[in-house]
Parts: sequence; structure tokens; C-alpha cells
Amino acid sequence: MRKFGTFLALTLVLITLISGCAKGAIEEQGSATIKGNFIDGESGGDAETLNWILAADASSFGYAGHTVDSLATYDNQFNIQFRCLAKDIEVSPDGLVYTITIRDDLKWSDGSQVTAEDYIYTMKNLMFSDWLNYPYKSLWQEEVDGKTVFVVPQVINATTFTVTRQTVDPEFIYTIYDLTPYPKYIATQYEGNAEAFTQAPEFNNLTYTGNLGPYKFKEWIRNDRFVVERNPDYYLGKENGAPYFEQYITKLFSSSATRQAALEAGDITSTGIDPSDVNRFRSMPNVKVYTNPTRGYWLLAYNQRANGWEGLKNKTVRQALSTAISKQTISQAILLGFAEPAYSFIPATSPWYTDEGIVKYGVGPLFDKLKAAELLYQAGYGKKESDGTIKVTNKDGTQLHLVLATSTGSKVAEDTAFSVRKDLLQLGIETEIKLVPWATLIRQYMMNTVPGSKQEPTDNNGPNAVSQEPWDLMLLGFNTDLLAPSGSRVFFTTNGGLNFAGYSNPEVDGLFNRARSKEALDKTARKQIYAELSRLLSEEQPVDFLVFNRANVGFQKNVEGIEPGINMGYNYYMWYFGPAE
Amino acid sequence: MGKSWLRDYVIKRLIYSIIIAWGILTITFILVRIGPSSPADKYLANIAARGADPVQATAAIEARYGLDKPIYVQYFNYMGNLFRGNWGWSFSTSMPVIELIKTHWIYSFQLILLSSLFAAILGMLIGIYSAVRQYSRMDYTFTFLSFIGISIPNFWLGIMLILFFSVNLGLFKTYYDTTLPLFSLDNLKALILPVITLGTGMLAGYVRYTRSAMLDNLKKPFVTTARSKGLPERTVIGKHVFRNALLPLVTIIMFDLGSIVFGGAYLTEIVFGIPGLGQISFNAIFANDYPVVVAVTLIGTFIVLLVNLATDISYTYLDPRIRYG
Repeated sequence: MRKFGTFLALTLVLITLISGCAKGAIEEQGSATIKGNFIDGESGGDAETLNWILAADASSFGYAGHTVDSLATYDNQFNIQFRCLAKDIEVSPDGLVYTITIRDDLKWSDGSQVTAEDYIYTMKNLMFSDWLNYPYKSLWQEEVDGKTVFVVPQVINATTFTVTRQTVDPEFIYTIYDLTPYPKYIATQYEGNAEAFTQAPEFNNLTYTGNLGPYKFKEWIRNDRFVVERNPDYYLGKENGAPYFEQYITKLFSSSATRQAALEAGDITSTGIDPSDVNRFRSMPNVKVYTNPTRGYWLLAYNQRANGWEGLKNKTVRQALSTAISKQTISQAILLGFAEPAYSFIPATSPWYTDEGIVKYGVGPLFDKLKAAELLYQAGYGKKESDGTIKVTNKDGTQLHLVLATSTGSKVAEDTAFSVRKDLLQLGIETEIKLVPWATLIRQYMMNTVPGSKQEPTDNNGPNAVSQEPWDLMLLGFNTDLLAPSGSRVFFTTNGGLNFAGYSNPEVDGLFNRARSKEALDKTARKQIYAELSRLLSEEQPVDFLVFNRANVGFQKNVEGIEPGINMGYNYYMWYFGPAE
Repeated sequence: MGKSWLRDYVIKRLIYSIIIAWGILTITFILVRIGPSSPADKYLANIAARGADPVQATAAIEARYGLDKPIYVQYFNYMGNLFRGNWGWSFSTSMPVIELIKTHWIYSFQLILLSSLFAAILGMLIGIYSAVRQYSRMDYTFTFLSFIGISIPNFWLGIMLILFFSVNLGLFKTYYDTTLPLFSLDNLKALILPVITLGTGMLAGYVRYTRSAMLDNLKKPFVTTARSKGLPERTVIGKHVFRNALLPLVTIIMFDLGSIVFGGAYLTEIVFGIPGLGQISFNAIFANDYPVVVAVTLIGTFIVLLVNLATDISYTYLDPRIRYG
């Protein structure tokens, strides 16, 4: 048996030797501007495809975006930054014709020039086609005389093209800024054959991207890493030599714990940091943490359909509930200060935000449980106890019991649900929390049909539709497009495609329509419209807008060139490794 | 004739395996396709954030996944392609399914193989030691450690190993690096923590099973006979007792091999970021990517069926009295 002891000892020695021998070569950190591999740790899931026209997910656009620039982007102050654009888009005085001029030094991989014809072909023959399933067609469509039609693109010359609408939409310009071309000379080979196009090696391996992006595709190991390498021909790098990283690697992790451990150990360059770990990372000598506002917010939806508590159709009741739910608890105790209370769908970071007239439920004087109880009592939902206190009840005096649904997998959502339950319990309202998988939440709680009909379930099948499972409150994370907030009409207008809660207010519908009208071409007028919309929704409380999130991102300290802000990555091709500290 | 009965038995079992695999394939296909969720569900937030029409976008995504066709059409198309050797296109990863599996199987295979070897060899050695030195201090220590090993959840152990050995001591990378050459010391090093994570539970189990099986056999008369014949203790333990204890152990090890292919390896892959078949199939299930789900299930089914067959055949060598009709 002594030999067994020797075997164990040898095994341990072998493990130690292997550990020692295999220490990887440490990357040399000189003072050269082009050096090193930037490794970005992510845990949001892998991309679906690099053939971006077929993609619906953000990761796919993110991956492809390293190799092909859109027409323009924005800095942290929302100033436009031209990418493939030679100059800003010209909009005709009537707001219907957009003239786009691209740079003349954009090249495909075969050396041929990227022309206006490529953009027009991408729109007309690919995005607008029936044979290819482009998920974002609706962004390029408009309603004309009750019919849905596409906008009309047209080539003017090699570097200029127009897009013409029949109706005015001042925010359509932001859709154009996002436009990215496909090479006509390759795409024509697959035209009309969706299967062949889907599987085309040129598009799945991004071999056509020429000098259009700061990086070129190198490798994609599914569920592991996406690797792009420096593009020395990048059109924006001609004068300054950018980009400066040899490779930009997106490394996928399954959890924030392993992702953050990798940053702490120096195995990756950057990753998101959970609120609870921010102070720990801030104290590390090798890591710098940036805190940025985001466009994401948490809300508590009130079910105003027939299978929700009838009180929720009453504005006073919704206001009362929002008065009883503390936003400070959520922003300070749950998100540890990395969130701002929200009062409407437009955050303070948006250029369209106005504070004037906003009703701030859930904070300051409008966080008041006594007042909330009084409002509910006045609305008929409560009874006065012998000591004068109000117990909130159903109209018939029975115990009020609400169902709060949210999805599993988010600690913030779970903690917030329990915080809401605690707040409502102090009014005498019992809340049952239902934590269900995201797919179940969508299919059984959000999607709805008119009972007895043969409708296909959608998120809004009209005012008489109800979801399969009854619910009263639903905790969700939403996003607002900060430059084009009118996209949120899908949630808040009567016929909005994602108005699963059944909220309806003709005044709100009208304001969203005005935000996309000729009147709104004047930015001052548009700001007035959004101010009125924010004020109205903050007062109406179709949902309880809870908090706008802030994001924390940790970087190894030697990464330089970063400009912290809401669009922090806008100039990432200019980032570089400084001297190692 | 030799072992012609064995050849007949193997052929019969292989035919049964094909029928069972076809049944499981069909059930899996139907289960994936009749599920209420849509591949578009997980993109709803992104679709909404871009201000697009969710109904139109959902229809486009479902059409791309082939969900716009009746289920029987999808089934016959899929089966027809499968018989022609075409495993289909993975929608959620945008590559041919066969390429996806060819790229990723090795990550799972090396992890499972090394973990099984680590657990089986070390587990049996410790189990033999514990049985021979029953009720010694070392036996109690191994018994105590075995219970801890069985009780520790894989994912927790993995994270603890990363925090201690990678973050605090800096001995290993915090994640598995797929750029390392397969047959290299670096790759072996990268697999140490994942192998310990996946193998610990199995190791602890094998220690207990081996100890128990050895103790059962140590009490049998043939051991007394062997000792009375003056055979060295090493021969008695190694050749006589252990060989007889091996039969139930082989069953357990093979069973474990089947179960970690489907379950245990996945959690370890998740913790260490190993892009093996476990991760691929898990993501495919949530993405409704039925060509991948069905293919991985089919491979797993064949592995389990073949492992069972190999187990049965191994019995005939370990115990020549065993015959199959």
C-alpha cells in the first residue's frame, strides 16, 4: 500500500509540473500603438448568424458590426459620427425625400467600390423581398391609404441615393443611419433562393467586407468565442493607423461569476460588473470600472384586460398602487444605487427628456402608503377599521389578492417582485408572485386571444382578448430608443403590437401619431410632443415605471482611449493598450 | 463455431438499437416541434427596442426556421435528408449540423474520457485500499471524503476551484481555452480543474462501490483457499478478489458514462466555458433548433445503447460462465 501513497504523490507532482510547464507566454506589452488582443467577456448568449439580414438578435448585429460599418453612429452626447456617410443625410423640406451620400473610398474584398447600387440592391432585392425573411421589414414600411407599402429607394449616382416616403416620419432618419450594405455582385448569385442565401459561405464567413469595418472576420467557435482581427485597410484608419488591437475577441461565459473571475484574474480585458461587486472591483489595482446610464428600465405592468383585477382599469387605482411602491428601495437597496427612479418611458439621458410637469409617483411626497390607501378607499376599494385606518379590500369587502408574474433567471426581478409584495402588503393587499420561464411568460401571460375565437395568439389581439393565464401585475425590463422614443408606441398605443396589458387612451395614441408627423419635423415641436407624452403617461400610470438601470463595465487599467458614457463603444476602434501598470 | 452466439447476439442488439433510436428520434422531433414556444420569443425585447412590428418579425423568424410548414412535412423532409446523410442546417448557429457536431464533440469527449479515467482508476485504488484496511484511520478519512464528494454539486465545486486555483493562486486560466492544441500539455493543464469537477462525484461513488464489492468478496471461501495455498497477498487481492468485484463495478461505471453524456458534463462545460455538445444541445433546445436537438439526442442514444452492449459483452470476458441466447 506504500506504493499507492507514492502513486498519489507522483500524481500531485505531475499536476504541479504541468501547471508550471504550461504557463502561457505572457503577451509583450511594449509602447507600440498596435498591439495585444482585446478580450470582451459576455454572458448574454451567442449570435445566431453573421448573415445579419436574417438576424433578429442584438449579438448577431454586434458580431457583424465589427467588420461592416453602418452609415453613422453617435457619441455620448448624441452628436452624429459619420461612418460610411460622406456627409449628413439631407432631408427635403416636406420631410419625404432623404438623400444619402456615401464615401467614395469604400471597398469590397475584391477591390471593387461599394456604390449606391449596393445599398439600393440590399433594400429592394433583399430586405423588401418576399423570398427572404428579413425580420425588420416593418421599419421600412408605411401606412398609405390603409395599405402597407415600402419606402422607395433610388440610385442617383455611384455615391448618392435617395429614399422616398409618402408619409412623414421624422424619426425614419435613424433607421437609415443604421443601414449596412450587402455586395450586389455576390448576393445576385443567391437571389430568390432563401436556403442558398442563408447558407452562403461568403455571408456566413464575412469574406466580402473589404475595408468596411475596423476588423476582419477570423474565427467563430459557437458558444465559445468570436474572433476578428485588425483590418489594416480600414477606411477610417488611413490617417491614424487605427484600429490598435491585433484581435478583438468576444469570449462567452455562462454566468457573471465566471466572467468576473476572468477579469479579476486578468484573463480577459473587459466585462460587465454586477452592482454587488462594483466596490470590490473598484478596489482592485488592475481594474477600472465605468458606470454608464443605459436605455433599459424596469416596469410593473397593470393588466387592464378582462382577466386582470377590475380595479386596474381605474386610473386612480393605478396611481394609488404606484404611490405605495417605493422606487428608492429598488434603486438603492436592490440595485445598490446603480439605477435612477423612472417616471415615464423617456429617461433623463435622452435628448427628448423634459422634467417639467412629470408626475413622480413612488418617490418624495408621492411615495405615501397612507395616501395610497386613502385613494383606494375613495375609489371604493377599502374599508375603515375602528381605529380609523384603512384596509384595502375588494369592493365587496373581501381580501384583495393580486397575482404578480415575472420571469425566472433575474435576481433583480425576483428581489423587486418581493419588494413590491412587501409594499402592497402594508396596504393590506396580498400578492402572489409567479416566477415562470421567459417563454411561459410570453406564451401564457402576455399573448392573448379573444375567448372562443380561432385567433392566433399575439401580444395584442384587441381589447377583448385575454391571456391564457390570469395576472394582475407583471414585472418586466423594457428598452427605449433614446433618439427615436416613438418606437415605444408598440407598448402604449391601443393597437400597439406589444400592448399586452390592454392599455388604451386616445390622447396617448394621438401624441404618438403626432411624434411621427410633419409637425414633428420641427425639433422644438417634437420635444413639446414628447414632453406632453411623458407628462401624460407619468400621470396616467398605464404601468408603474420603476427605475432606469445604470451599467457597470470593468476594464483592465491599461486600456486607453475610452470615453465613458451611454454610447461608450462608439469609438472603440480607437482604443488601445497603454503601457502595462 | 467459436463465439457465434455472441455475433448473433450483437447483430440482434444492433437491430434493436436502430429501432429504439428511430423511436427516440421521432419522439424528440415531435416534442421539440409541438412545444408552445417560438424561436422568436427570446428576440422579442430586441425587436421591440428597435421599434419593429413583433407579429411580422415573429412570422419572418418562424419561416426561416421552417415552422411555417405542417409538422408532418417537416418530419418527412428531415427524415428523408437524414437517410441521405444530410443532418440539416442549424438555424441558431448558422452552420451545417454535422459540421457543428464535428467541431464540438471533441470538447465533450476529452472531458468525459479523462473524468471517467480519473474517477475510475483513483476510485478503485482508494476503494481497494479502504477495503483491505477496513476501519483504519485512512479508511474513515476516505469514507468521510467520499460522502463529501458525493454531496458537493458540480457547478459549486467548479466555481470554488476557479476562485481558489485560478483567481487566488493564478495556477490555471479561469476558463477553458479552445485555442490550445488538443494534444498538448497546455490542453491537459486546462482540463485539470474541469476533470476534477466532473470526476469528483463519480470518484467518490466508485470508492464506496469498490470498497463494498471488495469487502463482499474478501469474506468468500475462495479467498481463504487462495491464502491457504500460500499465494502472495497482492495476487489474492488483485487477481482473485478484485476480478470478482469488477463485475458490478463495470455496470456502474458504464451507467455513469451514459448519464454524464446527457447530464453531468453539461454543468461542467457551463462553468468552465467548454463549448461541448452539452452546451450546444442546451442552447439548441431553448432556440427551438430542432435539427441540432434531434441530432445530439440521436448521438447520445447510440452512445448509451452501444455502452450497454459493450457492458454486456464485457461480462462474458469477466465471467466466462455468462452466455446470451
